[in-house]
Amino acid sequence: MPEASTVWIVIPALNEARTIGDVVAPLRACGWRVVVIDDGSRDGTAAAARAAGAVVLRHSINLGQGAGLRTGIAFVQRQRDAQCVVTYDADGQHQPDAVAALIGVLTREHVDVVLGSRFLDDSGAREVPAARRALLRLATLFTRFTTGLRVTDAHNGLRAFTVDAASRLRLTHNRMAHASEMLSEIARLGLRYAEAPVTIRYTDYSMAKGQRPLDALAILWDIFTAGLR
Amino acid sequence: MLRSQVLLIVLLAGLALYLFRLRTTPRDRLLYIVMVGVAVPLVLFPDASNVVAHAVGIGRGADLVFYLFIIFSLFHFATSASRIRQLERQLTSLVQDRALAAPDVPPGQGSSSA
Repeated sequence: MPEASTVWIVIPALNEARTIGDVVAPLRACGWRVVVIDDGSRDGTAAAARAAGAVVLRHSINLGQGAGLRTGIAFVQRQRDAQCVVTYDADGQHQPDAVAALIGVLTREHVDVVLGSRFLDDSGAREVPAARRALLRLATLFTRFTTGLRVTDAHNGLRAFTVDAASRLRLTHNRMAHASEMLSEIARLGLRYAEAPVTIRYTDYSMAKGQRPLDALAILWDIFTAGLR
Repeated sequence: MLRSQVLLIVLLAGLALYLFRLRTTPRDRLLYIVMVGVAVPLVLFPDASNVVAHAVGIGRGADLVFYLFIIFSLFHFATSASRIRQLERQLTSLVQDRALAAPDVPPGQGSSSA
């Protein structure tokens, strides 16, 4: 296992003042480094994140989660001793212990990327509401078909990269389609990847903040028009 | 000359002047000169569009003008869309550079940047 202080957790956040402190604090308590990208919030997100011990980068205007992750990864690349980058959601849906599990797989299996999956074992899948499960199955089939990656979950925000692998990703989507884009980059670069089981806490809050089924259409549109840019 | 013709020509001249000042790339200026160069004769001699339309196998001059309008609109839409995407990319990297230039580091964590 790498030293905890060489692992950076990247959390893009928009108007999460209520929860961001509770998301950051347990991660800092484990010794991980945390960088929160405040993506143009209108509330006290930046102050709450900093008070909980995160380095804060501020986007002067809202750019989207994909852009936030890119800014965070660029920041981690500049840290001399950084070895791993973990992407993490700001709304409290991930469990802090999952980071250690992901980093464990990353080092044990000598891979470049570890992807969190809700469907790797049954206990994770049971937590996912039925309607969302059906939509995610479709998204996963689509991803397998378009990227050739044999993944069991397509749009999970929890992933761990070696810094070296993360710096090679060429990401361009500012908004939600970055999750698919990350997978196609993993396929294009031929990165070694593994999956690790994660459970997601679906609270009313995270469901309200999260994507609605119709957003899937917007993501598809982004992916298909990407070639036209 | 009909009153509508006078009005249309004044409007076209005003638009041409405005666009000429607004759009400074030679390509755009040329485009607007061509457009006004086609529009003014059409206002003065409306029947001319019929002659041209018949020559290329279109029933009415009004249809020809309408088709040209659609093509121009699509062209304009496509160039504006790519301009907007380019601006979006520039704006993104500007905002990201600003964010990276001023990290807010909590006390005691020091900066370890390479």
